Amino acid sequence: MWRSRLLPVLVVGSFLVVACSGGGDSIQNAGNTTVAPASKPTTATTAGVGDTDTDTAHADTLAPGETLAPGETLAPGETSAPAATDAPTTTVAPSTTVATPLDELPKCPTDALASASGTVDITFWHGMTADLEKQLQALTDEYNASQTKVHVTLQNQGGYEQVIDKYLQSGQDSRPDLAQAPEYAVQEFRDTNSFVPVAACVKADNYDTSPILPAAVNAYSSGGVQWSMPWNVSNPVLYYNKKIFAQAGLDPEKPPRTLEELQADSEQIVSSGAAKYGLVVDTDFDSGGGWYIEQWFAKAEEFIADNDNGRSAPATHMLFAGQTGVDLYTYLQNLVASGAGYNVGANASGQDAFLKLADVSEPGAMTIGTSAALGTVLAAIKGGIAPKIAVEDLGVGPMPGPNGSATVLVGGASLWIVADKGDEKTAAAWDYVKFLSNAQSQSTWAAATGYVPIRSDALSTEPLASKYASDSRYQVAYDSLFQTPDELTAIGALLGPQREIRVLTARALATVFGGGDVATALQEAATQADALLADYAARHGG
Amino acid sequence: MKRRRRDAVLALVMLGPSAVILVAFVLYPLARAVWLGRQRCDARAQNCRTNGFRQYVDVVQSREFQHSLWVTVKFALLTVPVGVALGLGLAVLADRHLRGVGFFRTVFSSTVATSVAVASLMWLFLLQPSRGVLANIGWLNQLAPVIKRPGLLNDAGTALSGVALSSVWANLGFTFIVVTAGLQSIPRELHESAYVDGAGPWRRFTNVTVPMLSPTLVFVGVVLTSRAFQAYGEIDLLTKGGPVPQDSTSTLTYLIYGSTSIARSDAGLQSTVAVLLFVVLLVLSVVQLRGLERRVHYGN
Repeated sequence: MWRSRLLPVLVVGSFLVVACSGGGDSIQNAGNTTVAPASKPTTATTAGVGDTDTDTAHADTLAPGETLAPGETLAPGETSAPAATDAPTTTVAPSTTVATPLDELPKCPTDALASASGTVDITFWHGMTADLEKQLQALTDEYNASQTKVHVTLQNQGGYEQVIDKYLQSGQDSRPDLAQAPEYAVQEFRDTNSFVPVAACVKADNYDTSPILPAAVNAYSSGGVQWSMPWNVSNPVLYYNKKIFAQAGLDPEKPPRTLEELQADSEQIVSSGAAKYGLVVDTDFDSGGGWYIEQWFAKAEEFIADNDNGRSAPATHMLFAGQTGVDLYTYLQNLVASGAGYNVGANASGQDAFLKLADVSEPGAMTIGTSAALGTVLAAIKGGIAPKIAVEDLGVGPMPGPNGSATVLVGGASLWIVADKGDEKTAAAWDYVKFLSNAQSQSTWAAATGYVPIRSDALSTEPLASKYASDSRYQVAYDSLFQTPDELTAIGALLGPQREIRVLTARALATVFGGGDVATALQEAATQADALLADYAARHGG
Repeated sequence: MKRRRRDAVLALVMLGPSAVILVAFVLYPLARAVWLGRQRCDARAQNCRTNGFRQYVDVVQSREFQHSLWVTVKFALLTVPVGVALGLGLAVLADRHLRGVGFFRTVFSSTVATSVAVASLMWLFLLQPSRGVLANIGWLNQLAPVIKRPGLLNDAGTALSGVALSSVWANLGFTFIVVTAGLQSIPRELHESAYVDGAGPWRRFTNVTVPMLSPTLVFVGVVLTSRAFQAYGEIDLLTKGGPVPQDSTSTLTYLIYGSTSIARSDAGLQSTVAVLLFVVLLVLSVVQLRGLERRVHYGN
C-alpha cells in the first residue's frame, strides 16, 4: 500500500523540482542548450542530390523500425537527374539563391498522356470548402465529362493548413498527384524536392503563359523557376457599408484609399453617430495580424525580410520591427484605442470581422477581407444575416495603404504537380491544371466566387465579362492586382517558416491592441522570427 | 516440472495474440514517442537532431509548458466539480417514478449523442459577439458586458470559463446516464428504512444516496478529469488556444497539436509534451483511484 502512494509523490516531487529549477525559457529552445547535431548537416540541393546523405544521417538519429522509411520523402529525380551531382548548388544554401536549370529538376513528359492506354486516374488534394468546393466540383465534373483520358478525384482536406500538414507528413505512396497550397507554403513545399515544377510542363508543352498575370507567376516562383500554377488568386479589399457612409456625410462611392483617409473617415463615422465604429480590424495570422501586414509593407514599397524578401537569397532577418512596422502598428493601435476602430481579435475564416458589420446594436462600417469571400458575403447578406444591410449596400474598394497605391500581393493558392507518380499521372495532372487555368474555367470560377482570374483574357470571356459589367465590386481585386507595379517589393516574401512568422506578427498586434509597447512587441517578435529563420536554414542545409 | 513447462507454453499461446496487439499498438508507439521526444525535427519529421533526454527537462522548465499545465489544471478544476454536481443533481431530480419523467431523462442524456464538434459550434454561434443569440440579449449584456464586448470567448479573463461551459454541457449526458444507473442500483430498502427512522430528503441524500453512489461518483470524476486533461476539440473550435498574447486557453493538448501552437511543426517537441502529459495523467489516475479508494463505500 505504501508503495502505491509513494510513487505519485515521488513523480510529482521530481516534476516540481525540475520545473522550479528552470529559468522559464521558451519551449522553442528545448533540446537546444548545447546543440549537438545527431546527424551531420544534410546537404540540401535543388535537385535532390544528397538524398543519400540524408538517409544515412537519418539512420543515425532515428530508432530502428522508423516509420518514415528512407526514400519515402526523398526528392524526385533520383534516377532522372544524374547530372545533378555536378550542380553548383550543392555547397550553397538552398533554394532561392541560385537559379536552377530546369534540366536538373523533375521532368514533365506532357506527351505521355497521348500514349496512355486507358483512363488515367489522378487525385487532387484541395482546401476549398462550402460554396467554393461546390464550384470546384462543378468545374471538375465538367472536365471529367469532357474527355476520357483523365479522371480527377477531388479530396477535400478541410483547409490549406490540413493540405500542407498532411502532405508534409505523407510518404511517397500516400501523396496525391496534385495538391493545392497557399502562397505562404511556397518555400516549404519547394524545399521538399517532391514536385514537378510547372515551368517544366510549360516548356515541354509550349504552353502560352503570356495572358497570365506576371504578378501571379512571380509569386509562385523560386530560384527563377515557376513551381506551381496560380489558380485561385485573391487579395484583400475593403468591404464597407455604403448606407453608413451616406449617413455620416461621406461619399458612398469614394472609399478611403490612404491610411489617413481611413482614419478620418472612421472618425467621421463615429462622431456623426452613423455607426458605433469605423474600421473593424482583427489579429488573425491569416488576415489582419499576418497577411495584411505583409500587404502593407508591399504598399509602402518596403521589404519585410532581408535579401529582397528572401527572393535573392534565403532571408535571415525580418525587417518588420523597423520604422515602417512601428508606424503601422502605432497607427492601428491608435485607431482602436481612440474608438474609431474595433478589434474583433482572432478572426477564424474572417467571420468575426464580417459579422461585426452585421451587428445590429454596435456595428462597424468597414473591414478588410479577402476578395475570395465576396461571393459568400453577398450570399449571406441575401440570406438575411444582416438585417440592416441590403445586398446593394455593401461597397468594395481597394485595400487602403500608406500612400494610396494599388499594390497588392498575390494571395490564395496554387496547384502543385507531385513528382515520381509516373509519366502518365504527371501528364494527366498537367492536363487538368491547364483546364483549370484556361480562360473559360477562370472566368466561371471568378464570377462565382470573387477570386481574381489569373489571366487577362478571362475578362472578355462569359460569364465573367457580364459579371464585371453588372457588378463592379467583383472587379476591384483584379484591378488592384493588374495595377500592381513591377517591383521587387511587390512580389511578396518567400520564407521557409512563413506561416509561423505570421503567427508572431499577429501575436505582436494582439499585444499592441492590449496596450503593449509597439517597439518592444515588434522587437520581440522579430527576434523570435529570426530564430525561426535560422532554425529553418540549419535544417535545410543552410 | 514437465507440467509447469507445458503450462508455460499454453500460457504463451493464450496470451500471445493480445500481447502482440498490445505491443504493436500500445507499447511500441509509446516507446517511440518517448524516443521521438528527445529530438527536434522539422515538419516532415526529418532533419532531426537530439540533445538526449535533456529535452524533457528543458520542456518541463519552459514557460509555455508550465503555462499550459496551469491552464489545463484550471480547466479541470472548472469542469470536473461542476460537471459531477450538475450530473448528480439532474440524475437525482429525474430518479422518480412520475408521469413524463422519461421525457426529462431523454433530454438530460441527449448531449451524450452530441459530438464535441457540434456542441462547440453551437456554443460558438450562441456566444458570437456580433450576431450570437446569447451575446445580444439586452439584460444579459447589462449583467455581464463582457459577453458583448469583447465577447466571452475573446476576453482573456473569461475565455477559459466559456470553453468550460461548452465542455460541461457536452459531458452532462454522460454523467447523467452513469449516475442514473448508479442511483437505480441503490436498494430501495435503505431509503425506506431511513425514511422510517425519520430522515428527511436532504438527510437521505447525504447519508444514503451519496455514500452508496461514491464508487460511481469517483468513476465519473476520474473520467471527467481525464477528459478535461485531453480536451482538444472544443478549444480548437472555440478559441484556438487564445486569446493571444495571454494564451488563456492553451492547454497541454493544444500545445501539442494546436494550429497556432509554437510546437505545431515539430514532431519531436510534440512528442515531448505528449509523453509529459501521459505522465501527468498516469500520476493523476493513480492518486484518484488509490487515494479515494478507501473512502469509497462499496455496499455490502
